[in-house]
Amino acid sequence: MAQFLQQMVNGLSIGSVYALMAVGYSLVYSIMNFSNFAHGGVIMFGAYFGFFAMTLLKLPFVASFALAFVGTAVLAVVIERVAYKPLRERSAPFLYFIISAMGASIFLENIIIATIGPTFRTYPDVFGRTSISLGSVSIGRLDLIMFVISAVCLTGLVLFIDKTKMGRAIQASAYNMKAAALMGVNTDRVVMIVFALGGMLAGIAGVFFGMKYTVYPQIGNITTKSFVAAVFGGLGSLPGAVLGSVLLGVIETLVAGYLSSQFRDLIAFVILIGVLVFRPTGIMGKTTEDKA
Amino acid sequence: MLNVENLHVAYGGIRALKGVSLRVDEGEIVTIIGANGAGKSTLLNAISGFLKPSSGSVAFKGKPLSRRPDLIVRDGVCHVPEGRLVFANLSVEGNLAMGAYLRNDKKAIAADLERVYALFPRLAERAKQSAGTLSGGEQQMLAMGRALMTDGELVLMDEPSLGLAPLLVQTVFEIIGEIHKLGKTILLVEQNAFKALAVADRAYVLEQGRIVKQGRASDIAADPAVRDSYLGAESKAGG
Repeated sequence: MAQFLQQMVNGLSIGSVYALMAVGYSLVYSIMNFSNFAHGGVIMFGAYFGFFAMTLLKLPFVASFALAFVGTAVLAVVIERVAYKPLRERSAPFLYFIISAMGASIFLENIIIATIGPTFRTYPDVFGRTSISLGSVSIGRLDLIMFVISAVCLTGLVLFIDKTKMGRAIQASAYNMKAAALMGVNTDRVVMIVFALGGMLAGIAGVFFGMKYTVYPQIGNITTKSFVAAVFGGLGSLPGAVLGSVLLGVIETLVAGYLSSQFRDLIAFVILIGVLVFRPTGIMGKTTEDKA
Repeated sequence: MLNVENLHVAYGGIRALKGVSLRVDEGEIVTIIGANGAGKSTLLNAISGFLKPSSGSVAFKGKPLSRRPDLIVRDGVCHVPEGRLVFANLSVEGNLAMGAYLRNDKKAIAADLERVYALFPRLAERAKQSAGTLSGGEQQMLAMGRALMTDGELVLMDEPSLGLAPLLVQTVFEIIGEIHKLGKTILLVEQNAFKALAVADRAYVLEQGRIVKQGRASDIAADPAVRDSYLGAESKAGG
Protein backbone atom coordinates (compact mmCIF):
# COMPACT_ATOMS: atom_id res chain seq x y z
CA MET A 1 0.00 0.00 0.00
CA ALA A 2 2.77 2.40 0.92
CA GLN A 3 4.47 1.76 -2.37
CA PHE A 4 1.20 2.35 -4.24
CA LEU A 5 0.64 5.69 -2.50
CA GLN A 6 4.22 6.65 -3.24
CA GLN A 7 3.74 5.90 -6.93
CA MET A 8 0.49 7.85 -6.97
CA VAL A 9 2.21 10.90 -5.52
CA ASN A 10 5.03 10.69 -8.05
CA GLY A 11 2.51 10.20 -10.82
CA LEU A 12 0.50 13.27 -9.79
CA SER A 13 3.63 15.37 -9.76
CA ILE A 14 4.83 14.37 -13.22
CA GLY A 15 1.25 14.39 -14.54
CA SER A 16 0.78 17.99 -13.45
CA VAL A 17 3.78 19.04 -15.54
CA TYR A 18 2.43 17.08 -18.52
CA ALA A 19 -0.74 19.06 -17.96
CA LEU A 20 1.13 22.37 -18.32
CA MET A 21 2.29 21.26 -21.75
CA ALA A 22 -0.97 19.59 -22.75
CA VAL A 23 -3.12 22.67 -22.10
CA GLY A 24 -0.82 24.62 -24.43
CA TYR A 25 -1.49 22.09 -27.17
CA SER A 26 -5.19 22.09 -26.40
CA LEU A 27 -5.54 25.87 -26.34
CA VAL A 28 -3.95 26.25 -29.76
CA TYR A 29 -5.91 23.30 -31.10
CA SER A 30 -9.20 24.69 -29.83
CA ILE A 31 -8.66 28.01 -31.61
CA MET A 32 -6.82 26.98 -34.76
CA ASN A 33 -7.69 23.29 -35.18
CA PHE A 34 -4.19 22.04 -35.71
CA SER A 35 -1.59 20.42 -33.47
CA ASN A 36 1.20 22.85 -32.81
CA PHE A 37 4.24 20.61 -33.06
CA ALA A 38 6.54 23.56 -32.42
CA HIS A 39 5.37 23.46 -28.79
CA GLY A 40 8.22 21.06 -27.91
CA GLY A 41 10.77 23.56 -29.18
CA VAL A 42 9.27 26.23 -26.95
CA ILE A 43 9.56 23.93 -23.92
CA MET A 44 13.18 23.23 -24.77
CA PHE A 45 13.90 26.97 -24.99
CA GLY A 46 12.25 27.39 -21.58
CA ALA A 47 14.64 24.82 -20.13
CA TYR A 48 17.65 26.64 -21.64
CA PHE A 49 16.42 30.10 -20.67
CA GLY A 50 16.10 29.00 -17.04
CA PHE A 51 19.42 27.17 -17.11
CA PHE A 52 21.45 30.07 -18.51
CA ALA A 53 19.68 32.61 -16.32
CA MET A 54 20.89 30.67 -13.29
CA THR A 55 24.36 29.67 -14.48
CA LEU A 56 25.50 32.55 -16.73
CA LEU A 57 23.51 35.46 -15.33
CA LYS A 58 23.70 34.02 -11.79
CA LEU A 59 20.11 35.01 -11.16
CA PRO A 60 18.22 33.53 -8.22
CA PHE A 61 15.74 30.75 -8.99
CA VAL A 62 12.57 32.88 -8.92
CA ALA A 63 14.03 35.48 -11.31
CA SER A 64 15.33 32.76 -13.66
CA PHE A 65 11.97 31.07 -13.60
CA ALA A 66 10.21 34.33 -14.50
CA LEU A 67 12.73 35.08 -17.23
CA ALA A 68 12.16 31.62 -18.70
CA PHE A 69 8.39 31.86 -18.94
CA VAL A 70 8.37 35.45 -20.18
CA GLY A 71 10.96 34.44 -22.78
CA THR A 72 8.94 31.46 -24.00
CA ALA A 73 5.72 33.50 -24.11
CA VAL A 74 7.48 35.96 -26.43
CA LEU A 75 9.03 33.11 -28.43
CA ALA A 76 5.65 31.40 -28.94
CA VAL A 77 4.10 34.66 -30.16
CA VAL A 78 7.03 35.24 -32.55
CA ILE A 79 6.63 31.69 -33.94
CA GLU A 80 2.94 32.38 -34.51
CA ARG A 81 3.65 35.65 -36.31
CA VAL A 82 6.33 34.15 -38.54
CA ALA A 83 5.11 30.60 -39.17
CA TYR A 84 1.31 30.70 -38.86
CA LYS A 85 -0.03 34.21 -39.33
CA PRO A 86 0.81 34.39 -43.05
CA LEU A 87 -1.07 31.10 -43.48
CA ARG A 88 -4.03 32.33 -41.45
CA GLU A 89 -4.30 35.43 -43.59
CA ARG A 90 -4.53 33.30 -46.70
CA SER A 91 -6.94 30.82 -45.04
CA ALA A 92 -4.51 28.03 -45.91
CA PRO A 93 -5.49 24.36 -45.40
CA PHE A 94 -4.64 22.93 -41.97
CA LEU A 95 -2.03 20.61 -43.41
CA TYR A 96 0.08 23.68 -44.22
CA PHE A 97 -0.05 24.73 -40.57
CA ILE A 98 1.18 21.33 -39.45
CA ILE A 99 4.03 21.39 -41.96
CA SER A 100 4.96 24.91 -40.89
CA ALA A 101 4.86 23.77 -37.23
CA MET A 102 7.20 20.87 -37.99
CA GLY A 103 9.55 23.25 -39.78
CA ALA A 104 9.56 25.59 -36.79
CA SER A 105 10.22 22.66 -34.48
CA ILE A 106 13.20 21.43 -36.51
CA PHE A 107 14.52 24.98 -36.73
CA LEU A 108 14.35 25.52 -32.95
CA GLU A 109 16.10 22.25 -32.14
CA ASN A 110 18.88 22.78 -34.66
CA ILE A 111 19.55 26.38 -33.82
CA ILE A 112 20.37 25.19 -30.30
CA ILE A 113 22.58 22.34 -31.55
CA ALA A 114 24.39 24.72 -33.89
CA THR A 115 24.98 27.48 -31.35
CA ILE A 116 25.09 25.96 -27.88
CA GLY A 117 25.87 22.39 -28.84
CA PRO A 118 24.24 19.05 -28.17
CA THR A 119 25.70 18.44 -24.69
CA PHE A 120 23.53 17.52 -21.72
CA ARG A 121 23.56 20.15 -18.99
CA THR A 122 22.50 19.83 -15.39
CA TYR A 123 20.65 22.52 -13.49
CA PRO A 124 22.27 23.71 -10.27
CA ASP A 125 20.70 22.05 -7.27
CA VAL A 126 18.18 24.53 -5.90
CA PHE A 127 15.87 22.60 -3.65
CA GLY A 128 18.25 19.96 -2.31
CA ARG A 129 17.79 16.24 -2.59
CA THR A 130 16.09 15.80 0.73
CA SER A 131 12.47 14.83 0.73
CA ILE A 132 9.52 15.52 2.94
CA SER A 133 7.91 12.57 4.72
CA LEU A 134 4.19 12.27 5.14
CA GLY A 135 3.59 9.05 7.01
CA SER A 136 4.88 6.27 4.80
CA VAL A 137 5.07 8.50 1.73
CA SER A 138 8.02 10.72 0.99
CA ILE A 139 7.81 13.55 -1.50
CA GLY A 140 10.84 15.11 -3.16
CA ARG A 141 10.90 18.85 -2.67
CA LEU A 142 11.16 19.49 -6.40
CA ASP A 143 8.21 17.16 -7.01
CA LEU A 144 6.12 19.01 -4.45
CA ILE A 145 7.04 22.42 -5.89
CA MET A 146 6.33 21.19 -9.42
CA PHE A 147 2.91 20.00 -8.35
CA VAL A 148 1.99 23.13 -6.42
CA ILE A 149 3.14 25.59 -9.10
CA SER A 150 1.50 23.57 -11.88
CA ALA A 151 -1.78 23.42 -9.96
CA VAL A 152 -1.66 27.18 -9.31
CA CYS A 153 -0.96 27.91 -13.00
CA LEU A 154 -3.72 25.62 -14.22
CA THR A 155 -6.23 27.11 -11.77
CA GLY A 156 -5.20 30.57 -12.88
CA LEU A 157 -5.70 29.60 -16.51
CA VAL A 158 -9.17 28.20 -15.83
CA LEU A 159 -10.16 31.36 -13.95
CA PHE A 160 -8.80 33.53 -16.75
CA ILE A 161 -10.81 31.64 -19.36
CA ASP A 162 -14.00 31.45 -17.30
CA LYS A 163 -14.11 34.85 -15.65
CA THR A 164 -12.49 37.44 -17.89
CA LYS A 165 -13.76 39.13 -20.99
CA MET A 166 -10.73 37.98 -22.96
CA GLY A 167 -11.42 34.46 -21.68
CA ARG A 168 -14.94 34.60 -23.07
CA ALA A 169 -13.53 35.87 -26.35
CA ILE A 170 -11.21 32.84 -26.40
CA GLN A 171 -14.12 30.47 -25.80
CA ALA A 172 -16.15 32.14 -28.52
CA SER A 173 -13.23 32.03 -30.98
CA ALA A 174 -12.69 28.38 -30.13
CA TYR A 175 -16.17 27.66 -31.30
CA ASN A 176 -16.04 29.82 -34.40
CA MET A 177 -13.54 32.54 -35.31
CA LYS A 178 -15.84 34.26 -37.76
CA ALA A 179 -18.74 34.42 -35.34
CA ALA A 180 -16.43 35.82 -32.65
CA ALA A 181 -15.21 38.52 -35.04
CA LEU A 182 -18.85 39.41 -35.77
CA MET A 183 -19.25 40.20 -32.07
CA GLY A 184 -16.35 42.64 -32.26
CA VAL A 185 -13.65 40.28 -30.99
CA ASN A 186 -10.21 41.06 -32.37
CA THR A 187 -9.43 37.45 -33.32
CA ASP A 188 -5.84 38.25 -34.20
CA ARG A 189 -5.32 39.36 -30.61
CA VAL A 190 -7.06 36.22 -29.32
CA VAL A 191 -4.59 34.09 -31.27
CA MET A 192 -1.70 36.10 -29.86
CA ILE A 193 -2.91 35.73 -26.27
CA VAL A 194 -3.46 32.00 -26.71
CA PHE A 195 0.08 31.54 -27.97
CA ALA A 196 1.47 33.73 -25.18
CA LEU A 197 -0.40 31.68 -22.54
CA GLY A 198 0.62 28.36 -24.08
CA GLY A 199 4.22 29.60 -24.39
CA MET A 200 4.29 30.73 -20.78
CA LEU A 201 3.11 27.37 -19.47
CA ALA A 202 5.56 25.63 -21.82
CA GLY A 203 8.40 27.66 -20.34
CA ILE A 204 7.42 26.65 -16.81
CA ALA A 205 7.24 23.01 -17.87
CA GLY A 206 10.63 23.35 -19.58
CA VAL A 207 12.32 24.62 -16.42
CA PHE A 208 10.76 21.77 -14.38
CA PHE A 209 11.86 19.09 -16.83
CA GLY A 210 15.31 20.61 -17.00
CA MET A 211 15.54 20.46 -13.21
CA LYS A 212 14.06 17.00 -12.87
CA TYR A 213 16.12 15.46 -15.67
CA THR A 214 18.73 17.38 -17.68
CA VAL A 215 18.74 20.04 -20.39
CA TYR A 216 19.46 18.94 -23.96
CA PRO A 217 18.25 19.95 -27.43
CA GLN A 218 15.81 17.04 -27.75
CA ILE A 219 14.13 17.60 -24.39
CA GLY A 220 11.16 18.98 -26.31
CA ASN A 221 10.40 15.43 -27.48
CA ILE A 222 8.79 14.94 -24.12
CA THR A 223 5.83 16.89 -25.52
CA THR A 224 4.89 13.76 -27.43
CA LYS A 225 3.66 12.54 -24.05
CA SER A 226 1.62 15.65 -23.44
CA PHE A 227 0.24 15.32 -26.94
CA VAL A 228 -0.86 11.79 -26.04
CA ALA A 229 -2.36 13.20 -22.84
CA ALA A 230 -4.21 15.93 -24.75
CA VAL A 231 -5.66 13.40 -27.19
CA PHE A 232 -6.46 11.04 -24.34
CA GLY A 233 -8.36 13.76 -22.50
CA GLY A 234 -9.97 15.12 -25.65
CA LEU A 235 -8.19 17.60 -27.93
CA GLY A 236 -9.50 21.12 -27.51
CA SER A 237 -10.82 20.54 -24.00
CA LEU A 238 -8.77 22.07 -21.19
CA PRO A 239 -10.23 19.96 -18.35
CA GLY A 240 -9.70 16.98 -20.65
CA ALA A 241 -6.05 17.89 -21.18
CA VAL A 242 -5.48 18.16 -17.44
CA LEU A 243 -7.31 14.93 -16.65
CA GLY A 244 -5.54 13.07 -19.47
CA SER A 245 -2.15 14.33 -18.27
CA VAL A 246 -2.67 13.36 -14.65
CA LEU A 247 -3.96 9.93 -15.67
CA LEU A 248 -1.01 9.43 -17.98
CA GLY A 249 1.45 10.48 -15.28
CA VAL A 250 -0.11 8.11 -12.74
CA ILE A 251 -0.31 5.20 -15.18
CA GLU A 252 3.31 5.73 -16.20
CA THR A 253 4.67 5.72 -12.67
CA LEU A 254 2.55 2.72 -11.74
CA VAL A 255 3.87 0.83 -14.76
CA ALA A 256 7.42 1.86 -13.96
CA GLY A 257 6.98 0.92 -10.32
CA TYR A 258 5.24 -2.44 -10.69
CA LEU A 259 6.39 -3.68 -14.09
CA SER A 260 9.48 -2.05 -15.46
CA SER A 261 10.42 1.48 -16.44
CA GLN A 262 11.14 0.16 -19.91
CA PHE A 263 7.41 -0.39 -20.42
CA ARG A 264 6.59 3.17 -19.43
CA ASP A 265 6.63 4.80 -22.87
CA LEU A 266 5.19 1.72 -24.49
CA ILE A 267 2.11 2.13 -22.33
CA ALA A 268 1.75 5.80 -23.30
CA PHE A 269 1.49 4.94 -26.97
CA VAL A 270 -0.71 1.91 -26.43
CA ILE A 271 -3.09 4.30 -24.69
CA LEU A 272 -2.92 6.72 -27.62
CA ILE A 273 -3.73 4.02 -30.14
CA GLY A 274 -6.47 2.60 -27.91
CA VAL A 275 -8.11 6.00 -27.55
CA LEU A 276 -7.92 6.68 -31.27
CA VAL A 277 -9.55 3.34 -32.02
CA PHE A 278 -12.26 3.24 -29.37
CA ARG A 279 -13.00 6.84 -28.50
CA PRO A 280 -11.46 9.24 -31.02
CA THR A 281 -12.84 12.33 -29.24
CA GLY A 282 -11.06 11.41 -26.00
CA ILE A 283 -12.56 11.48 -22.53
CA MET A 284 -13.95 15.01 -22.73
CA GLY A 285 -13.50 15.95 -26.39
CA LYS A 286 -15.82 18.22 -28.31
CA THR A 287 -18.73 16.32 -29.82
CA THR A 288 -21.22 19.13 -30.38
CA GLU A 289 -22.51 19.40 -33.88
CA ASP A 290 -23.88 22.33 -35.78
CA LYS A 291 -27.55 22.22 -36.47
CA ALA A 292 -28.49 22.99 -40.02
CA MET B 1 -26.10 55.50 -44.39
CA LEU B 2 -24.20 52.82 -46.31
CA ASN B 3 -22.62 53.57 -49.66
CA VAL B 4 -20.96 50.84 -51.66
CA GLU B 5 -19.10 52.13 -54.72
CA ASN B 6 -17.93 49.99 -57.60
CA LEU B 7 -16.90 47.05 -55.39
CA HIS B 8 -14.80 44.30 -56.98
CA VAL B 9 -14.02 41.11 -55.05
CA ALA B 10 -12.09 38.13 -56.38
CA TYR B 11 -11.00 34.99 -54.64
CA GLY B 12 -9.47 31.79 -55.86
CA GLY B 13 -9.27 33.26 -59.36
CA ILE B 14 -13.03 33.82 -59.48
CA ARG B 15 -14.30 37.35 -59.86
CA ALA B 16 -17.25 37.14 -57.50
CA LEU B 17 -18.24 40.82 -57.57
CA LYS B 18 -17.68 42.91 -60.67
CA GLY B 19 -18.29 46.51 -59.72
CA VAL B 20 -21.25 46.54 -57.36
CA SER B 21 -22.63 49.90 -56.26
CA LEU B 22 -25.52 50.30 -53.89
CA ARG B 23 -26.74 52.47 -51.07
CA VAL B 24 -28.86 51.97 -47.99
CA ASP B 25 -30.47 55.03 -46.41
CA GLU B 26 -31.13 55.37 -42.72
CA GLY B 27 -34.34 53.66 -41.65
CA GLU B 28 -34.72 51.59 -44.82
CA ILE B 29 -35.04 47.89 -45.40
CA VAL B 30 -33.12 47.13 -48.56
CA THR B 31 -32.99 43.65 -50.01
CA ILE B 32 -30.60 42.04 -52.44
CA ILE B 33 -32.09 39.15 -54.32
CA GLY B 34 -30.40 36.81 -56.72
CA ALA B 35 -29.76 33.19 -57.50
CA ASN B 36 -27.34 30.93 -55.66
CA GLY B 37 -23.79 32.00 -56.48
CA ALA B 38 -24.76 35.46 -57.69
CA GLY B 39 -22.43 36.97 -55.08
CA LYS B 40 -24.91 37.95 -52.37
CA SER B 41 -23.01 36.48 -49.43
CA THR B 42 -19.72 37.66 -50.93
CA LEU B 43 -21.08 41.19 -50.90
CA LEU B 44 -22.04 41.02 -47.21
CA ASN B 45 -18.74 39.39 -46.27
CA ALA B 46 -16.86 42.13 -48.13
CA ILE B 47 -18.84 44.84 -46.30
CA SER B 48 -18.11 43.11 -42.95
CA GLY B 49 -14.39 42.93 -43.64
CA PHE B 50 -14.01 39.17 -44.09
CA LEU B 51 -13.11 39.51 -47.76
CA LYS B 52 -10.75 42.14 -49.11
CA PRO B 53 -12.11 43.97 -52.14
CA SER B 54 -9.63 44.32 -55.00
CA SER B 55 -11.10 47.75 -55.70
CA GLY B 56 -14.01 49.95 -54.79
CA SER B 57 -15.07 51.49 -51.51
CA VAL B 58 -17.54 51.12 -48.68
CA ALA B 59 -18.61 54.19 -46.74
CA PHE B 60 -20.75 54.22 -43.62
CA LYS B 61 -22.35 57.44 -42.38
CA GLY B 62 -20.14 59.48 -44.69
CA LYS B 63 -16.84 57.95 -43.56
CA PRO B 64 -14.91 55.03 -45.04
CA LEU B 65 -15.87 51.87 -43.17
CA SER B 66 -13.05 50.17 -41.21
CA ARG B 67 -11.33 47.22 -42.86
CA ARG B 68 -11.25 44.75 -39.95
CA PRO B 69 -14.34 42.80 -38.83
CA ASP B 70 -14.11 43.77 -35.14
CA LEU B 71 -13.62 47.46 -35.97
CA ILE B 72 -16.57 47.34 -38.35
CA VAL B 73 -18.76 46.14 -35.47
CA ARG B 74 -17.45 49.08 -33.46
CA ASP B 75 -18.43 51.40 -36.33
CA GLY B 76 -22.04 50.22 -35.93
CA VAL B 77 -22.56 47.55 -38.57
CA CYS B 78 -23.67 44.13 -37.35
CA HIS B 79 -24.06 40.98 -39.37
CA VAL B 80 -26.32 37.97 -38.91
CA PRO B 81 -24.32 35.39 -40.82
CA GLU B 82 -25.54 32.67 -43.12
CA GLY B 83 -25.82 29.43 -41.17
CA ARG B 84 -26.38 31.47 -37.96
CA LEU B 85 -23.04 30.47 -36.35
CA VAL B 86 -24.35 30.62 -32.79
CA PHE B 87 -21.84 29.60 -30.13
CA ALA B 88 -23.07 26.08 -29.45
CA ASN B 89 -20.61 25.76 -26.56
CA LEU B 90 -22.18 28.72 -24.73
CA SER B 91 -25.63 29.17 -23.19
CA VAL B 92 -28.26 31.37 -24.83
CA GLU B 93 -27.41 34.01 -22.23
CA GLY B 94 -23.71 33.58 -22.96
CA ASN B 95 -24.33 34.10 -26.68
CA LEU B 96 -26.24 37.30 -26.03
CA ALA B 97 -23.50 38.49 -23.65
CA MET B 98 -20.98 37.94 -26.46
CA GLY B 99 -23.08 40.28 -28.60
CA ALA B 100 -22.41 43.03 -26.06
CA TYR B 101 -18.68 42.23 -26.08
CA LEU B 102 -17.59 45.75 -27.07
CA ARG B 103 -20.04 47.58 -24.81
CA ASN B 104 -19.45 48.70 -21.25
CA ASP B 105 -22.63 50.54 -20.27
CA LYS B 106 -24.28 47.91 -18.07
CA LYS B 107 -27.65 49.69 -17.94
CA ALA B 108 -27.91 50.01 -21.70
CA ILE B 109 -26.89 46.36 -22.12
CA ALA B 110 -29.54 45.24 -19.63
CA ALA B 111 -32.16 47.33 -21.43
CA ASP B 112 -31.19 45.78 -24.78
CA LEU B 113 -31.33 42.32 -23.26
CA GLU B 114 -34.89 43.06 -22.13
CA ARG B 115 -35.78 44.15 -25.66
CA VAL B 116 -34.29 41.02 -27.16
CA TYR B 117 -36.16 38.80 -24.71
CA ALA B 118 -39.38 40.73 -25.43
CA LEU B 119 -38.83 40.19 -29.14
CA PHE B 120 -37.94 36.51 -28.72
CA PRO B 121 -39.76 35.07 -25.67
CA ARG B 122 -38.41 31.63 -26.64
CA LEU B 123 -34.89 32.82 -25.89
CA ALA B 124 -35.93 34.07 -22.45
CA GLU B 125 -37.40 30.64 -21.67
CA ARG B 126 -34.17 28.98 -22.72
CA ALA B 127 -31.69 31.51 -21.36
CA LYS B 128 -29.66 28.93 -19.41
CA GLN B 129 -29.80 26.25 -22.08
CA SER B 130 -26.81 25.49 -24.28
CA ALA B 131 -27.26 27.12 -27.69
CA GLY B 132 -26.32 23.84 -29.37
CA THR B 133 -29.57 22.27 -28.16
CA LEU B 134 -31.81 24.87 -29.82
CA SER B 135 -33.82 24.11 -32.95
CA GLY B 136 -32.82 25.74 -36.25
CA GLY B 137 -35.48 28.43 -35.90
CA GLU B 138 -34.47 29.22 -32.34
CA GLN B 139 -30.84 29.43 -33.40
CA GLN B 140 -31.81 31.94 -36.08
CA MET B 141 -33.58 34.01 -33.42
CA LEU B 142 -30.52 33.79 -31.23
CA ALA B 143 -28.26 34.90 -34.08
CA MET B 144 -30.52 37.91 -34.64
CA GLY B 145 -30.76 38.68 -30.92
CA ARG B 146 -27.00 38.46 -30.60
CA ALA B 147 -26.54 40.92 -33.47
CA LEU B 148 -29.01 43.32 -31.82
CA MET B 149 -26.93 43.14 -28.64
CA THR B 150 -24.02 44.75 -30.52
CA ASP B 151 -26.26 47.84 -30.78
CA GLY B 152 -25.32 48.26 -34.43
CA GLU B 153 -27.39 50.74 -36.41
CA LEU B 154 -27.18 48.79 -39.64
CA VAL B 155 -28.04 45.10 -39.55
CA LEU B 156 -26.80 42.90 -42.39
CA MET B 157 -28.81 39.67 -42.67
CA ASP B 158 -27.59 36.78 -44.76
CA GLU B 159 -30.31 34.32 -45.76
CA PRO B 160 -32.16 34.34 -42.42
CA SER B 161 -34.90 32.02 -43.72
CA LEU B 162 -32.55 29.40 -45.17
CA GLY B 163 -33.36 25.86 -44.09
CA LEU B 164 -36.37 26.77 -41.96
CA ALA B 165 -39.85 25.25 -42.09
CA PRO B 166 -42.42 27.43 -43.96
CA LEU B 167 -44.18 28.49 -40.76
CA LEU B 168 -40.89 29.63 -39.25
CA VAL B 169 -39.97 31.46 -42.45
CA GLN B 170 -43.08 33.57 -41.96
CA THR B 171 -42.06 34.24 -38.33
CA VAL B 172 -38.56 35.27 -39.37
CA PHE B 173 -39.92 37.86 -41.80
CA GLU B 174 -42.29 39.21 -39.14
CA ILE B 175 -39.29 39.54 -36.82
CA ILE B 176 -37.39 41.45 -39.50
CA GLY B 177 -40.29 43.91 -39.48
CA GLU B 178 -40.10 44.13 -35.67
CA ILE B 179 -36.35 44.75 -35.74
CA HIS B 180 -36.96 47.52 -38.25
CA LYS B 181 -39.48 49.08 -35.86
CA LEU B 182 -36.75 49.17 -33.20
CA GLY B 183 -35.12 51.78 -35.42
CA LYS B 184 -32.60 49.56 -37.18
CA THR B 185 -31.65 49.92 -40.81
CA ILE B 186 -31.57 46.56 -42.56
CA LEU B 187 -29.73 45.16 -45.56
CA LEU B 188 -31.27 41.77 -46.26
CA VAL B 189 -29.89 39.12 -48.57
CA GLU B 190 -32.45 36.45 -49.45
CA GLN B 191 -33.17 33.66 -51.83
CA ASN B 192 -36.79 33.85 -50.81
CA ALA B 193 -37.30 36.81 -53.13
CA PHE B 194 -41.05 36.93 -52.77
CA LYS B 195 -41.03 37.42 -49.01
CA ALA B 196 -37.98 39.67 -49.08
CA LEU B 197 -39.57 42.03 -51.59
CA ALA B 198 -42.74 42.13 -49.51
CA VAL B 199 -40.90 43.39 -46.43
CA ALA B 200 -38.36 45.69 -48.15
CA ASP B 201 -38.54 49.34 -49.23
CA ARG B 202 -36.05 49.02 -52.05
CA ALA B 203 -34.37 46.13 -53.80
CA TYR B 204 -31.37 45.27 -55.94
CA VAL B 205 -31.15 42.26 -58.21
CA LEU B 206 -27.69 40.69 -58.31
CA GLU B 207 -26.70 38.43 -61.20
CA GLN B 208 -23.24 36.97 -61.65
CA GLY B 209 -21.57 39.65 -59.55
CA ARG B 210 -23.35 42.60 -61.10
CA ILE B 211 -26.42 44.65 -60.13
CA VAL B 212 -28.80 44.20 -63.04
CA LYS B 213 -31.86 45.92 -61.62
CA GLN B 214 -32.73 48.23 -58.80
CA GLY B 215 -35.74 50.13 -57.61
CA ARG B 216 -38.63 50.15 -55.21
CA ALA B 217 -39.32 46.69 -53.89
CA SER B 218 -42.91 46.77 -55.16
CA ASP B 219 -41.75 47.74 -58.68
CA ILE B 220 -39.12 44.98 -58.70
CA ALA B 221 -41.74 42.50 -57.51
CA ALA B 222 -43.97 43.56 -60.40
CA ASP B 223 -41.20 43.35 -63.00
CA PRO B 224 -42.06 40.51 -65.41
CA ALA B 225 -38.41 39.43 -65.89
CA VAL B 226 -37.91 39.26 -62.13
CA ARG B 227 -41.16 37.36 -61.68
CA ASP B 228 -39.98 34.80 -64.22
CA SER B 229 -36.49 34.33 -62.79
CA TYR B 230 -36.95 34.65 -59.06
CA LEU B 231 -40.57 34.56 -58.06
CA GLY B 232 -41.68 31.69 -60.30
CA ALA B 233 -43.70 29.08 -58.51
CA GLU B 234 -43.84 30.96 -55.26
CA SER B 235 -45.52 34.06 -56.67
CA LYS B 236 -48.19 31.84 -58.15
CA ALA B 237 -48.63 29.94 -54.94
CA GLY B 238 -48.62 33.09 -52.86
CA GLY B 239 -50.94 34.96 -55.24
